[in-house]
Amino acid sequence: MTVAFGLLLAALLGAPLFAVIAAAALWGFYASDIDPSAVAIEFYRLAEMPVLLAIPLFTLAGYLLGESRAPDRLVGLTRAFLGWMPGGLALVTLVACALFTAFTGASGVTIVALGALLYPALRQGGYGERFSLGLVTTSGSLGLLFAPSLPLILYGIVAQQLGVGRSITLDELFLAGLLPGLLMVALLAGYSMWTNRTQPLTPFTWREAKAALRAARWELPLPVVVLGGIYGGYFAVSEAAAATVLYVLAIEVLVHREIPLRALPRIVREAATMVGGVLVILGVSLASTNYLIDQQVPARLLEAVRSVVSSPLTFLLLLNGLLLLLGMMLDIFAALVIVVPLLLPMAVGYGIDPLHLGIVFLANMQLGYFTPPVGMNLFIASFRFGKDVAELVRASLPFFVVLLVAVLVITYWPALSLALAGR
Amino acid sequence: MRLERLLALIERLEDATLVLLMAVLVALAGAQIVLRNLFDSGLVWADPTVRVLVLWVALLGAMAAARQGRHITVDLVARALPARLAAPVRALTDLFAAGVCGVLAWHAARLVAMEWSAGTVAFAGLPAWIAQLIVPVGFAVIGLRYLALAPRRFTVGAGADAGASR
Repeated sequence: MTVAFGLLLAALLGAPLFAVIAAAALWGFYASDIDPSAVAIEFYRLAEMPVLLAIPLFTLAGYLLGESRAPDRLVGLTRAFLGWMPGGLALVTLVACALFTAFTGASGVTIVALGALLYPALRQGGYGERFSLGLVTTSGSLGLLFAPSLPLILYGIVAQQLGVGRSITLDELFLAGLLPGLLMVALLAGYSMWTNRTQPLTPFTWREAKAALRAARWELPLPVVVLGGIYGGYFAVSEAAAATVLYVLAIEVLVHREIPLRALPRIVREAATMVGGVLVILGVSLASTNYLIDQQVPARLLEAVRSVVSSPLTFLLLLNGLLLLLGMMLDIFAALVIVVPLLLPMAVGYGIDPLHLGIVFLANMQLGYFTPPVGMNLFIASFRFGKDVAELVRASLPFFVVLLVAVLVITYWPALSLALAGR
Repeated sequence: MRLERLLALIERLEDATLVLLMAVLVALAGAQIVLRNLFDSGLVWADPTVRVLVLWVALLGAMAAARQGRHITVDLVARALPARLAAPVRALTDLFAAGVCGVLAWHAARLVAMEWSAGTVAFAGLPAWIAQLIVPVGFAVIGLRYLALAPRRFTVGAGADAGASR
């Protein structure tokens, strides 16, 4: 008990999470007379999971896209095709950010890469300062539910490792995220159109559309091939990842020549830093989870919660609260790896489909990114746009309420997540 | 000064290895797609090699992340601490990380030694201990880096916010 308390304190004071989890696993094995080198054996299982390959490859592709001028072209393209609608620029922001986040996964990147383009454009287009700030902050985490986002892939990997309840495949998970993700975009779009209904409209011109299409002609096949390939079942996820990174390398380095060859080592290192940070946590969590299951902690936890909470609906309500809180405090990747092994057996005990739990988990985490007062994106946006965090909290509050509605719908309407996957 | 040059040299060596391994990873994964879909074949050793490469890239990346103490943390409390308390708390958590990494590296090294003496083969004639070697080496390096970070938290300037979260 003292050890557990000490480790919790270390985590709260800012010790690296992988070290806290590793310490827990080492201590656990030691205390139950198992050779602590079991932690190393479990860690080595990282080299035995074929899907894991998708993580470094998609991360590298995302960093390469972020370094190129692909974000400009993405904004130009969505603007040419959606800009004429009421609240057009707001729609552009939502769609461009969702697409970019789906491909780059880690959501702080979106605010930095796209927010810098979109915020001035919104202000110039006559959108209010508060609305624009709130919109950009909110959009920074939109798109987590669309393939091939890394958190979605990581949830699939963790759930497959646990093997609790009905088994899930990554393809099913990608299908499950589609409608809930669209619901989020649609609700935010509806709200944006309504609040900006008095804005003057800019007409659609074929000239602009053609120019934007021309500029983005090399990137255009990317979402088609990757999403079509994955959703259509032609590509395994890791194959899609390899194809993506090779294609992105070819167009941004060789065709557009926006990334000089000498910049590649730095970009590779930055991508690997992010991958390493996530995977060491996954590796040590394999050990700690193994220990927890050995000690029947998930089963006992389920029993304890069941004695208090009887209905699945109440469980889901509590889950939403807990996940919101976690989303504010924990990095999304860390949360997935640490919390899902405890939550999934419980959720299955309440008859919740693992696919549905994954979507609920990520939807809540997405909201947690800008939950006042400490969501991470509030700080990133505050830093990026030089505004007070309090101002950003006020600005993103209406968007928070809209997305909260979406999250509640996603939570209490399982069919929305399960229908497309056919279960 | 000579120590600093040695450290810089090690970092560049790591970076070079990392870029090389990532290049091989991308090339092998790409080659497998082409072989599988166009020629309906594949390299038998490629899939296990790719999996081991993922592990190596992950640990080399984790070693790079440790240079500035950029591993994933909960920074809620640390951010709220007054400057006077922040430095010692950060140094303390660095030492904690260094200690855990040391223990982990030791047990991983024991595992590698066991595999070495047992002569286990991972695949295609590659001894298992070579594939696993990065685990003890990686955690040892990460531990040493956190050990070196701790005193730097007290010096004003470059090192003071070295642990700023990402």
